Amino acid sequence: MIEVNELSKVYVKNNEEVIVLKDICLRIDEGEFVSVMAPSGMGKSTLLNILGCLDKPTGGTYTLDGVSVEGMDDDELSRTRNKKIGFVFQSFHLLPRMKAWENVTLPLIYSDTDSNMKEKAGAALNEVGLGDRVEHLPRELSGGQQQRVAIARALINDPRIIFADEPTGNLDSASGTEVMRIFKELHRKGRTLVLVTHDMETALQSDRIIEMRDGGIVADRTVEAPTEVTK
Amino acid sequence: MRLLGMGKQAVAALADNKSRTFLMMLGIVIGVATLTIITSSVLGARAKVMKNVGKFGFDQIAVFAGSGKKLGVFRSLDVTTLTLEDAEAMEAEIGNIREVTPQINRRNVPVKHGNLSSYATLVCANPNWSSVWQTRAARGRFISDEDVSRLARVAVIGETMVEDLFAGRDPVGEQILINNLPFKVIGILEKRGTSPAGVDMDGRILIPLSTGQKRVFNIDHLGMIKVALKDPAKMDATVGDVAALLRERHRIQAGTEDDFTIVTPTQAMTMASKISSSFTLFLVLVSAVSLIVGAIVIANIMFIGVNERRAEIGIRRAVGAKKQDILIQFLIESLMVAVGGGIIGVVTGLLGLKGLSFFMKFPSALMWQPIVLALFCAILVGLLAGIQPARKAAGMNPVEALK
Ligand SMILES: Nc1ncnc2c1ncn2[C@@H]1O[C@H](COP(=O)(O)OP(=O)(O)OP(=O)(O)O)[C@@H](O)[C@H]1O
Ligand SMILES: [Mg+2]
Repeated sequence: MIEVNELSKVYVKNNEEVIVLKDICLRIDEGEFVSVMAPSGMGKSTLLNILGCLDKPTGGTYTLDGVSVEGMDDDELSRTRNKKIGFVFQSFHLLPRMKAWENVTLPLIYSDTDSNMKEKAGAALNEVGLGDRVEHLPRELSGGQQQRVAIARALINDPRIIFADEPTGNLDSASGTEVMRIFKELHRKGRTLVLVTHDMETALQSDRIIEMRDGGIVADRTVEAPTEVTK
Repeated sequence: MRLLGMGKQAVAALADNKSRTFLMMLGIVIGVATLTIITSSVLGARAKVMKNVGKFGFDQIAVFAGSGKKLGVFRSLDVTTLTLEDAEAMEAEIGNIREVTPQINRRNVPVKHGNLSSYATLVCANPNWSSVWQTRAARGRFISDEDVSRLARVAVIGETMVEDLFAGRDPVGEQILINNLPFKVIGILEKRGTSPAGVDMDGRILIPLSTGQKRVFNIDHLGMIKVALKDPAKMDATVGDVAALLRERHRIQAGTEDDFTIVTPTQAMTMASKISSSFTLFLVLVSAVSLIVGAIVIANIMFIGVNERRAEIGIRRAVGAKKQDILIQFLIESLMVAVGGGIIGVVTGLLGLKGLSFFMKFPSALMWQPIVLALFCAILVGLLAGIQPARKAAGMNPVEALK
């Protein structure tokens, strides 16, 4: 699914190079549920954004679903994000003036299939347990509910892979648990998931943990018995 | 992404910050309103002039006695060089001339009937005046050749004269005094309204040219000769022929000014359209300044909006919006502001026109051209003002936008 070789990201600031990622080699197979862990500022988000085709690396190669990403122009990257990738962010990133279902339809707006949008959005919201919040505005929803709207949005175009950058970071533990339960469910249905987290307890619910330090991967281990989420 | 959906989203975004949207529209509203007023009045004035020039006759020229004749200004009869013989020579010698009608026009001639009196525009002319000027006798009859040869004291009078001297009663067969001379009313002229120069065309009284020359003014010369051409396409050449003929007949030395003035339909048109050009210039300035200010305001507020909506831009990009989608989204917003402002501006302008014509005599007409022009300008302003902010939005790095 994902194959990364000697990937690097370097920022040049005031004539000084800031190396955020260096020589990252990584392979993630279809259907895996991977956690990326590292202390703050270690480049987790940067890596996730590159894998999500939102950011471009300064070096190395990246193959997504058998297609080389370096060769893609901006429109192709956009199309890839639209069709193959779903994003979930720490701060939800919903559009405040749009109702829940309208937020969910956003990826549909930018794809060719924008018929029955409300129906599809309703089904996606149902899937995350928000079938009764379709007409609500983000500010009328709790944080956990907002994050579930964001997950529904990530799912609407039926992407192969979902990238989540600290999706439970802004949530209380009950809401966080609910979000993780949804992720586990998606994983069970065969979706590939890459999750950035600070929290070991969260990481242990996935089946593989990658640890980063100083721009490189320092540990990559399989979780023998991923924790089941209990309600 | 379909345009309808984008339109809806743009409306939502604009409705989200109404005072800002209002501010963005204001310059456009003022600019477009003044533009509507200008174009409506200019076109209105032009249409009116064209109509009157149409009456003047596109296949006709006028030769006035004296140099530097201005349209609508009646000169005194002291230039004596233009004569009936000139008119006859023109008709005989210049091939492209179909017909000439020599005449003497005189304004503010005292007229009387019983104890009612008024002032008329006295026109002394031959019977063919009627066909050349396309003004017939609506009732009674027109001047005949016999009237001319007998120096008959007969008059065909306009509707205003019928009102002034007969209080609307049938005047045919009655006597009136023109310049204290008794004339018999033989007919009433068709109603003609007001000329572009503001002359009441129904205040005219027609008498035979011979009667006017010999009995009223006691002169041998003419005030003007109206010339109808066979082929109006050869107007310039004919004007040259007429000028050459008259200079020869009047023995005007080379290098000396003409003692006559030839007015063509195009000249008549430009003379009449010079009216109120400074007012138009003022409005053009107001309109241009407002549109430019409007564009700057829209651009600046759009830039602020783009900065404030970084997160939105980032989200849209993250879920698959192409740069072009973002560009179009912001362009549609600026276009909507401009077109909305344009529509409000057109309505304001049309109301303004109504208001203006209430206070002064304002030539205006409800026409589609000013509306189309104004909306076109609004769209142009919207595009020009929106393009830079929209490009900024489209070019934003999605990762930075989401931070
Ligand atoms: N535009 C930039 N210019 C320079 N340095 C940058 C830029 N963007 C990010 N960085 C640096 O890259 C490093 C990694 O940032 P990143 O956001 O990926 O970290 P993170 O692991 O996600 O941290 P956190 O846990 O706080 O989210 C940081 O040290 C940051 O200062
Ligand atoms: Mg981060």
